[in-house]
Amino acid sequence: MTLTQTSPGSTRDALAGLIPVSIITGFLGSGKTTLVNRLLKRPEMNRVAVIVNELGEIGIDNDLVEVSSEQMMLLNNGCLCCVLRGDLQETLRDLFIKRRNGEIIDFDRVVIETTGLADPAPVMQTLITDSLLLEQYRLDCVVTLVDAVNAPGQLVQFTEPVKQVALADRLVITKSDLIGEKQLKELIGRLHELNPNAPVKVALNGEIELSFLVDVGLRRSDARLEEVERWLGAEKQDEHGHTHRHDEAVQTFVLRFEKPMSWTAFTQCLDVLTALRGPDLLRVKGLVNVEGKTGPMVVQGVQHLFHPPLELARWPGPDRSTRLVFITRDIPRQTVADLFAAIGAVTAGKSA
Amino acid sequence: MAVEGSLRPGGGAAQLALNMKLIAHHELAGFGGVGEGINMQKTKDGRRILWMAHESAPKNFTAVDVTDPRNPKMVVQTDLPHNDVRSNSLDVVGDIMAVAYQTKKWGLKPAGMDLFDISKPEQPKLISHFDTSGPHSRGAHCVFFVDGEYVHLTSGSPDFEPTNPKDDQFYRIIDVRNPSKPTEVGRWWYPGTRKGDSAPPPPRHPKFDGGYRPHNTNVYPQKPDRAYIGYIDGGAWILDISDKSKPKPVGHLTYSPPYNGFTHTVLPLIERGYLIISDECVRDNGEDWPKLTWVVDARVESNLVPIATLPLPPADAFIKRGGRYGSHNLHENLPGPCSFRSETLIFGTFFNGGVRAFDLTNPLQPKEAGYFVPAAPKLAPKGSAQINDVWVDENRIVYAVDRFGGGLYTLETSF
Repeated sequence: MTLTQTSPGSTRDALAGLIPVSIITGFLGSGKTTLVNRLLKRPEMNRVAVIVNELGEIGIDNDLVEVSSEQMMLLNNGCLCCVLRGDLQETLRDLFIKRRNGEIIDFDRVVIETTGLADPAPVMQTLITDSLLLEQYRLDCVVTLVDAVNAPGQLVQFTEPVKQVALADRLVITKSDLIGEKQLKELIGRLHELNPNAPVKVALNGEIELSFLVDVGLRRSDARLEEVERWLGAEKQDEHGHTHRHDEAVQTFVLRFEKPMSWTAFTQCLDVLTALRGPDLLRVKGLVNVEGKTGPMVVQGVQHLFHPPLELARWPGPDRSTRLVFITRDIPRQTVADLFAAIGAVTAGKSA
Repeated sequence: MAVEGSLRPGGGAAQLALNMKLIAHHELAGFGGVGEGINMQKTKDGRRILWMAHESAPKNFTAVDVTDPRNPKMVVQTDLPHNDVRSNSLDVVGDIMAVAYQTKKWGLKPAGMDLFDISKPEQPKLISHFDTSGPHSRGAHCVFFVDGEYVHLTSGSPDFEPTNPKDDQFYRIIDVRNPSKPTEVGRWWYPGTRKGDSAPPPPRHPKFDGGYRPHNTNVYPQKPDRAYIGYIDGGAWILDISDKSKPKPVGHLTYSPPYNGFTHTVLPLIERGYLIISDECVRDNGEDWPKLTWVVDARVESNLVPIATLPLPPADAFIKRGGRYGSHNLHENLPGPCSFRSETLIFGTFFNGGVRAFDLTNPLQPKEAGYFVPAAPKLAPKGSAQINDVWVDENRIVYAVDRFGGGLYTLETSF
């Protein structure tokens, strides 16, 4: 390097400076508040902003509260709790502005606790598509809590819990002490059928290791292989790409394409898919080998909305094939594979 | 259950940070007021020495060994001969350091520039003094020295009588190829600022008369025929210096009034054809707000077009912290083995707004990448930190200095 050239690392990493956001979801009574409360008491989590629907809901011990306003409360471990206002965009923007102006703590993580009945998809969509929020935040992880006692029934009776499980990056089973080992095994099996990519752990009284719940999303554009695999959750995928259970409404599968494809052809495929079956395209994530690009393009979508395209600095590891993880409602793998083939973006090749 | 208090422990003067982390703080032996000269020397024995010119007397300059940036160690601190002179500015090339001297009143000495041999950082050895004192001169405010051959100096001169006392300094090119005998080889001043000029004296700024003098006079080895000059109330200038004896204006941008003057640094992004131009906030409590940093399209030098300003937090939120709030110095992409150089990441200092970094990938929409605002230093005269200047090394370690007592803050970035 001569003494006048630009320095290595002279550009900003598109991901590295963003504040991670975790979404804690789960059906009524599944123990979200207990989990959040436990998380906030950990020394590593001393600069978190928690967004809840009501300040009372979080059930913070009054001894922990240092300062409180109508909308926010400062805990004596340094964390901040705030009420979800009209919409999430407004609350997150407001938090960032107040942080920048020095009115609140320098929070370095946001945890959003959704209401039990909430569909997490709109919250995720907000985080991956709102252009202002994308400047400051990144979706790190969707954690779905599953109540061991009531989940087996709820997963049959209601559609919301199924979707909450299907969209999760991490599944946490609560109240497992109230059921037998056999029932627990069955529940884990059931969750694995619905979402084979999401690791499952059991938490008692909200106790769970922090590393399971944080730093799941991509944190920098020169991500290492293990970071990408952790985010994709695809490392344990069936090599043959078979859907795990064919009688399920929710299906999870991986498409692989060995040859690079054009970005136009790829987006055409996604456009057709979202136009025809957007609501059933629960979650898509993956890496795409785009012709002419050095690194893979990161793809992340929830139903009909996708994160703006983002290129990683380089391929993590030797595998340069396009890998797309689909979680769908009643869209079989073959349909999607056929669509990609028909559009002619790629020859399905080894992926078939 | 409303309770009195702040949702930020430490209240209004607390530290603020985004994507910048404090890894060391050095108070410079109680003389933590630093001006706007920072440069890093790589010594022959492999040490990395950060040189800093002080804002005001009694100290001249201080060197800190930052080979381990987490453990800075002071190497030397020198004194000025009296309290009516300040050094303020310095630059380092190899083992030679140039230091500016400006007096409080006209006619005083020492006024001008010193060249030091710093091959032994513990014992800087004076090579020569370039005297610019005179009846109408306060000496030199700023040096720009990056090629080992020429110092681009903002200074008065015994033979220069300004039309207005505030316009007493101008652009001087000093040949230092023989460092024992610095010699002027060229000069340029704003037309009308010297007695006897054919042009009339320029109009004074109606609200804040800062004067018509250069501040920074930047010249880069990649483009040795151009000087980029912030001319305080005279705006920004690009001079053709292919003939150093006859600098010729080729570009000029002025935006004050309606803005509040004090154009400070003109940093060219040479490969991309843009200029980053900072103004200096010179009044406390928001009196001269807005003091901005401009992004200017300079692809056609004769038609400089401002296209954006660096995004800053609202004045209301910072003015109340005390002291100045607004733009000042930039990291200047200097050549040299220890300097960070980027055409898209810009670092600037903003007094009580701290040190802030911006992403100019899209020059039409600069984005904030990070910031660090120290908590008010002990006994801070303004009640807040007043971050004055910044140097970024090639590993993107950020060195920011306080104008009064805070000293040196060493920061890591995570963007």
